[in-house]
Amino acid sequence: MTEISNALRVKLVTPERVLFEHTVESVELPAKNGYFEVLYGAAPLVAELGAGDVTLHGTPEGTQRYNVNWGFVEVLPERVTILATDALKPAEIDVPRAEEQLARGHREWDSAGDNPEAYDEALHVIAEAEAKLASAADKQH
Amino acid sequence: MANVLDLKRRIRSVKNTRQITKAMKMVSAAKLRRAQERALAARPYAESITAVLASLTRRIEIFDPATGNLRHPLFAVRPEKNILLVVVTGDKGFAGAFNANIMKAALNVIDESTSDGADKQIDIEAIGRKGRDLMKRRFPTAKFDSVDIDSLERPVRNRASAVEITGDHPGLLDKPVSSRVFKLASDIIARYIHGEIDACYIVYNEFKSVISQRVVVERLLPLMDIGRPEVRSLLEPTSAEKERAAEAALTAGVALTEADATEAVEESHKFGTANVDYIYEQPAEELFDGLLPQYVSSMLYHSIVESVAAEHAARMTAMDSATNNASDMIDAYTLQMNRVRQAAITKEIIEIVSGAAAV
Repeated sequence: MTEISNALRVKLVTPERVLFEHTVESVELPAKNGYFEVLYGAAPLVAELGAGDVTLHGTPEGTQRYNVNWGFVEVLPERVTILATDALKPAEIDVPRAEEQLARGHREWDSAGDNPEAYDEALHVIAEAEAKLASAADKQH
Repeated sequence: MANVLDLKRRIRSVKNTRQITKAMKMVSAAKLRRAQERALAARPYAESITAVLASLTRRIEIFDPATGNLRHPLFAVRPEKNILLVVVTGDKGFAGAFNANIMKAALNVIDESTSDGADKQIDIEAIGRKGRDLMKRRFPTAKFDSVDIDSLERPVRNRASAVEITGDHPGLLDKPVSSRVFKLASDIIARYIHGEIDACYIVYNEFKSVISQRVVVERLLPLMDIGRPEVRSLLEPTSAEKERAAEAALTAGVALTEADATEAVEESHKFGTANVDYIYEQPAEELFDGLLPQYVSSMLYHSIVESVAAEHAARMTAMDSATNNASDMIDAYTLQMNRVRQAAITKEIIEIVSGAAAV
């Protein structure tokens, strides 16, 4: 009885569809300023997500990982809703394209000059590509 | 009077046309079902973003009390001088008045804004091939000084006319990918922040169900009332048109009411709105910075997928009417053919009878 009510409901939503909706034991989230893990009973929180992996522990299929890029998360004691701009399974990541994206990011960085907006944009691209590559590399282990 | 052979040929040709329109109707019905599913699947995200933004604007003042500055430039309301009009039409014709209605609404806005001393300048962003082609025939394309793709400097605009087309997006309707829509939204936001436009409206065909759809002109920017975009004008279908659509949907086997999504929608509505004190991980400016582009992009995405569904529904209705008209035509021709044949037979009998009487 307690076990059922202690389960955390996680919903992962992208602009196109709902990707994941189930109860889990815990979830690791890539907030903009670092990873954090949420268990049942967490304090209510709204945070912006960066680029990185959402790791869901204790789903029916064991531990699941999704690479997400930017978005928001709402944490309530018994419910976590993740709004991700883009979410991929590590196996779905297109490594050559991510590498290309990384190269483009570095190129943008180099040509940004003294435009702060350009630096932000370049950082954005680099962070996204690096997170994708890291996530894809993890899969092979 | 046409002879029997001619009429037979006519009937065969109309029958062929009927075959084609029938097939097009069924194809549209299938595509409509898929488009409806996509629109439905996109709803939780849109509702959640709207809900959290609405709750955020309720809890945090848009103006920073310490400095009196706006928390985000997208909230800034300026007098409307330069307007961006996003026109969402279909890629193909054969959809009744679908594209014409949208164009009419768009041209109304343009006329209103450019006539009698309003002296406003309009940029057009065309989504959908039909709208793009029609707009291109009327208005020139905007010219920019050549820009280097890698640099993020704003391009210099050489405006030659009050109404210009700044961009088109071929293939976006075919496969509405959210990342492409997000790019367009970011572009629109950048233009707004840099003061190149003072307002952005979107013209599209709203799709609630097969029988309930209308052309609306909605305000996208500046953000005024989150969750309830201001509708500037709308065009409702007549009841006769609705009846036609219902009939078409019935024969094509498309459900009239949308699949029940209220539960999912209600749950999404609660995102970020629970009656508790949230810890906001980032300061309000940063949250707005991340959320607002997402919100604008989800509104755009939403109107695009709805417009696609509406287009298929309109085509289905139009093709159903065409099929019915073809059937009527075949009936009329068949009757005429039989009469002609009968007349020929009667004439022959009269000839024989009068010939016999003369003998």
